[in-house]
Amino acid sequence: MTQTDDKPAVQIASLNKWYGAFHVLKEVNLTIPSGSRVVICGPSGSGKSTLIRCLNGLEAYQQGTVTLGTIELGANARETVLARRQTGMVFQSFNLFPHLTVLSNCTLALRRVLRMPRNEAESLARHFLEKVRIPEQATKYPAQLSGGQQQRVAIARALCMNPRLMLFDEPTSALDPEMVKEVLDVMTGLAHEGMTMICVTHEMGFAREVADQVVFMDQGSIVEQASPVAFFSTPNHPRARSFLNTLLH
Amino acid sequence: MQFDVAFALSTVPTILGAIGMTLLVAASSCVGASAIGFGFELIRRSGGWGGLLVGFVIDFIRATPVLVWLYCLYFILPFYGIRLGALATGMIGLSLYYSGYLAEVFKAGIDAIPNGQAEAAKALGLGRMDMTIFVIAPQMLRNIAAPMGNYFVSILKATPYLAVLAVPEMLGRAFDIASDTYRYAEPLTVAGLIFLGLALLISQAIKRLEIRLLGPTAR
Repeated sequence: MTQTDDKPAVQIASLNKWYGAFHVLKEVNLTIPSGSRVVICGPSGSGKSTLIRCLNGLEAYQQGTVTLGTIELGANARETVLARRQTGMVFQSFNLFPHLTVLSNCTLALRRVLRMPRNEAESLARHFLEKVRIPEQATKYPAQLSGGQQQRVAIARALCMNPRLMLFDEPTSALDPEMVKEVLDVMTGLAHEGMTMICVTHEMGFAREVADQVVFMDQGSIVEQASPVAFFSTPNHPRARSFLNTLLH
Repeated sequence: MQFDVAFALSTVPTILGAIGMTLLVAASSCVGASAIGFGFELIRRSGGWGGLLVGFVIDFIRATPVLVWLYCLYFILPFYGIRLGALATGMIGLSLYYSGYLAEVFKAGIDAIPNGQAEAAKALGLGRMDMTIFVIAPQMLRNIAAPMGNYFVSILKATPYLAVLAVPEMLGRAFDIASDTYRYAEPLTVAGLIFLGLALLISQAIKRLEIRLLGPTAR
């Protein structure tokens, strides 16, 4: 264990966010130890995507603090940029750059942000494309790939930056059912390697198998936080019970 | 007066002799207008007072005749000690004038890019400049190749305005011949046909560019 591992990967304290008058995140507190896999679930509009987007500065918040490792977001501009660079994000709609090949999607940030020479960047990108099992697609454009393949490229693109933390914002919600598994398999593989992961997802099978914490949100608050075993067998909160009922039946 | 084909053909070399000037003015104005227009649009998008000011400038430019700009640059600036040559005035005038229109085209091109693109760029840690150059601008160009090409043709067709500053471009040359010979139909027709040919060439080039830009990556 190194020193940074002693610090929680993410510490969210008294986080509050409003969209105008709408209180979208209410007093959210959450500590995520390094190496853990957290699944955030809840009904739509519960604030789970907003919460995960606050963790890499894509959403601003009005109150509270988010600390990634030792860096408090927003406290120091340079450190905030660094923290964001060490946080990978995978979106529901993939958000690959359509004008760039798969390989260039992966190397753009390596070359522009980390100033890595082309050869080095490309071999690193190919390594991660192999890891998500699509090395043969490197020279294609995103539009030539299936949704599942695109999402795996997006994961490889994020991994290239050597993140300490991976955020997944409903990574399988835009996929055809038969492509969900290939993406979840890649994510499961990452989890087994010890990557710290926060996933907003409705894939309860994934939560059960991979997560070590399930966080249930409703109306902007965390109303339940438990191990998957406890959450799925004996959910405490009535909203969590009815949510699981609609999802599992 | 009969249209004299032989005379018309005899004017071709003289008028074509000015095609270089026409193309120089058109090309540099296309580059200038695109650069200024893109800069305008970036400032306008960044908001704040600068954005508001640039928004006003863009509207102001679009609401005034191009000749007013050329006359102002040529006749008024010297009173303030800024003396531009006729050619430079023409290029700057056309660049400024069309920058307002191109800024609007760029706006539409950027607005059409899904928000997720900028978010992905930010999430990867790309800075503002890198994001603009490597993520936003290329996708913007794909979206606007056709309307941008239209404005490039417009710029080409606006080069005869420079005749008022005595810049020796094609239409001016044609008019010189007409004044000397009192025959207007032939030189003006020749000049018109050359413009038509150039405009068609540009449209074709833009179409090819569009196909190349969209290529296998069309969304």
